[in-house]
Amino acid sequence: MFKLRDISIRNKLILMQVFTSVVVFGIVFGVFIITDVNSYKQRKVDSMISLAQVIGTNSISSIQFQDPEAAKKMLADLHNVAPEIIHAGITNKNGQAFASYSKIKADSFKIPVLKGKAFSFAGEQQLFVSNPIVSNNEIIGDVFLQVQLTELQKIKHDKYGLAFVLLLVALVFSFLIALMVQSYISKRLLKLVHAIKKVGKTGEYNKTLEEDGKDEIATLIQAFNKLMEEIKESQKKKDEFIGIASHELKTPLTSIKGYVEMLNVLEQEQPKKKFVEKTLNNVNKLERLVKDLLDVSKIQSGQLKLDIKEFNIDELLDETIIAAQMVSGTHHIERKDHPDNKMIFGDKQRIEQVLLNLLSNAIKYSPGENKVVVDSEKTEKELIIKIRDYGIGVPKEEQINIFERFYRTKGVSVHISGFGLGLYICRDIINRHYGKIWVESADKGSIFYFSLPLKHSFTTQQTQA
Amino acid sequence: MNKILVVDDDLDILSLVQVILSMNNFTVEAISRWEDISNKIAEFKPNLVLLDVMLGGADGRDICRNLQTQAATKDIPVVLFSANPEMGKYIKDCMAKDFVAKPFEMAQLLKTVRTYVN
Repeated sequence: MFKLRDISIRNKLILMQVFTSVVVFGIVFGVFIITDVNSYKQRKVDSMISLAQVIGTNSISSIQFQDPEAAKKMLADLHNVAPEIIHAGITNKNGQAFASYSKIKADSFKIPVLKGKAFSFAGEQQLFVSNPIVSNNEIIGDVFLQVQLTELQKIKHDKYGLAFVLLLVALVFSFLIALMVQSYISKRLLKLVHAIKKVGKTGEYNKTLEEDGKDEIATLIQAFNKLMEEIKESQKKKDEFIGIASHELKTPLTSIKGYVEMLNVLEQEQPKKKFVEKTLNNVNKLERLVKDLLDVSKIQSGQLKLDIKEFNIDELLDETIIAAQMVSGTHHIERKDHPDNKMIFGDKQRIEQVLLNLLSNAIKYSPGENKVVVDSEKTEKELIIKIRDYGIGVPKEEQINIFERFYRTKGVSVHISGFGLGLYICRDIINRHYGKIWVESADKGSIFYFSLPLKHSFTTQQTQA
Repeated sequence: MNKILVVDDDLDILSLVQVILSMNNFTVEAISRWEDISNKIAEFKPNLVLLDVMLGGADGRDICRNLQTQAATKDIPVVLFSANPEMGKYIKDCMAKDFVAKPFEMAQLLKTVRTYVN
């Protein structure tokens, strides 16, 4: 259904202006035409009554001497005097026709319905006028005139035509004026909308708009700027907190990890050695969780910045596979493609983080298996990296959700630890590289893909960050 | 060619790094006050400085830049270490040789240090 709120403000403004001017001009022209027509009619009635009076006065003697021929002759003169009269007649005091005149081709004369001094209009087409013939204060008959209002039709036609043309001109002018006004208003509004959209998309809250003027839109811009300032302030506080938390959490963790690692080297006696190993494993797990949580805070406060450089992705793939292989005693990670020193632009450390995350997931979610396959495919525009496992797989209905924060796969028969942050972080990192990350099901297990553009598509702003 | 000066305001980490490096046949001096760095370098003449970034009251990056621009200390390589992994991006900026993120793996710390001293 047609809804007013669905029309853009721009069009509403134009519509309003055009509508208002059409209504105003319409009323003005209407009143003008009606007054004009009425005054014309009044004048016509007056002049016809005067004419009827003259005819009446001149026909007194004809009536008194019963000479209808003389009266008829006088009426025939009307043909020259007032050509718009189509019928004229004189009746005696009994209302019977005494003399009449009919314009050639005009309808036959009818007995007038009017009596005394009177007039009536037959629509806008004809005017009937009658006037008594008075002699010595006695009514001796009536003069009756039927007038064709051809001129009125013409006047009306002309006036309506003129009004229509003027209305069109007014319409065009008001449309042009509205266009100018709206472009001024909507330009500023759109600028604001653009700024808000940009902030929503990039999470950069440092955008402020120039305040121009004192109207409602300027107030809106002011409110926007104030909001940006407040967000910036709270972001700053949050960033400070992340900084402090990061430092304060990691400092003791560094000590714990370091000393436990040393104990692990020094202690050879069982079961002490086993206890130390377990402690170390858990310290490492804790370290990863702290890192992930801090990364998520950074992502959310728009603080995760990439350090974009050109690097050899094939080398990184090999290094990462070795690193992941080192921590997995159960799986063999196999590289299917042939490295050919592909160079890409990106944050090497963050891409490594994504690879490690996907590899460790592949291992974690395929207990009892022993194979993970890494493959890559280069297209014209992008490089696609595939990591395939032969594990429990991801059900189709969960394939979108697994990249959400704190999402954990449902219906997993084995307990798998983690916060459900890894893939969320991966997705953010890949998105910031203008790439995509997704998962597909295989016959057994799943394949995680991510793509990275081969061309340098980062803005200067990001490379500087 | 195996003298290392470690600077960190966290005493536990300081002694941890000292123990790890000593166990691996490095001669180590460890200080927690950044104000003592100049004197210590003059006296100990280290072959490498392992420098924390977030020192109480001072930024390791500034200290590093200072050391690298002074004639007496510019040839001593500096490796930064910090709990903030973002600091790794600044090593070129402050003329440090390398960066180690905390918490670190022992092997990784040793590998980095051995790149610059033997």
